[in-house]
Amino acid sequence: MSVYLSKWRNLSQAIKQRGGIIGSILHLYRTDDLKYGDLVGEDKFGNKYYQNDMFFIASNRWVDYAPQFGMDYDGSQIPAEWHRWMHHMTDDPPTVVPPVNYKWLPLHKENKTGTAGEYVPYSTTRPRIQAWQPPSKA
Amino acid sequence: MTSRAVLALRGRLSPFLSAVSRPGFCAPCVQLHTEKTLKTEDQKTLSLVPYREQHTEASAIATRKRYSPFQNTSSNVDYALARADDLINWARKTSLWPLTFGLACCAVEMMHFAAPRYDMDRFGVVFRASPRQADCILVAGTVTNKMAPALRKVYDQMPHPRWVVSMGSCANGGGYYHYSYSVVRGCDRIIPVDIYVPGCPPTAEALLYSVLQLQKKIKRMKSTQIWYRK
Repeated sequence: MSVYLSKWRNLSQAIKQRGGIIGSILHLYRTDDLKYGDLVGEDKFGNKYYQNDMFFIASNRWVDYAPQFGMDYDGSQIPAEWHRWMHHMTDDPPTVVPPVNYKWLPLHKENKTGTAGEYVPYSTTRPRIQAWQPPSKA
Repeated sequence: MTSRAVLALRGRLSPFLSAVSRPGFCAPCVQLHTEKTLKTEDQKTLSLVPYREQHTEASAIATRKRYSPFQNTSSNVDYALARADDLINWARKTSLWPLTFGLACCAVEMMHFAAPRYDMDRFGVVFRASPRQADCILVAGTVTNKMAPALRKVYDQMPHPRWVVSMGSCANGGGYYHYSYSVVRGCDRIIPVDIYVPGCPPTAEALLYSVLQLQKKIKRMKSTQIWYRK
């Protein structure tokens, strides 16, 4: 019986953290997941990072992407300093142990594939091999 | 319907509106801008800093991104077709059935992707053994000259629309076996590839990410819109 009670308690706590029933439904629609945990920190894009060790390792840390990303959230939107923490490379989040900040470090950029800013490879050398052109039927 | 009409009206008026609304998103912003330009007009000839400040200010405003990539529809027909495309793309991307084409050690990572830790089933990705039932082919491993006709045949048997994920260095461009006498230097010499997954072998996580990227690509497809244009 107490098992069911604790499940109910977890569910109600998760709903409470998402701001009620409607908030939970919206969150479920966006992330397919309803968990509750401690807010560990927030990065410069507005992504929020949570932790709850009640869940199994690898699902005990998670990110809530900032609303500006909408439904197109992506793992590459997590900046490098939080990536370490998310992947359990370290237990110290960058809010506790701030990363070394060199002035030559570039700003974090998300994966631009499929957008106007995508990377297009190009060659600066002449091709050494002439490709075979299939004969056209016309 | 009324809201659509209002939007259409706004679209028609936009050349006139833009002259008013472009310099800033709200009245205080406009004021700030004009003040700054007045103050720094003589500085502009000296440095680029005022322009730089203006740029960062304008791009700092974040808005919620809409679900659909087809937003600026011009007519009712366009709107209907865009929503039909949204529905079709949603159905396609959330039930992506790949054909396993495991050729080497990458196939082991592909199995990990199917196993509970990465759990591809939650994305609607279910392995099929027959090309007739598959949407997508995961080429995982070295494509040898001997395997090449089989790969092409299997690809030709897949129904449209079909996608190809090339997994690992060997499938991307020959990889370690690039200079071998019996290896195809990348499966894109035989079939058109949508997503290349780098790595030797790529982790199951990388393959998962590639499937998410493929879902993003499918979301941008304009099946009915292109049909209508033709």
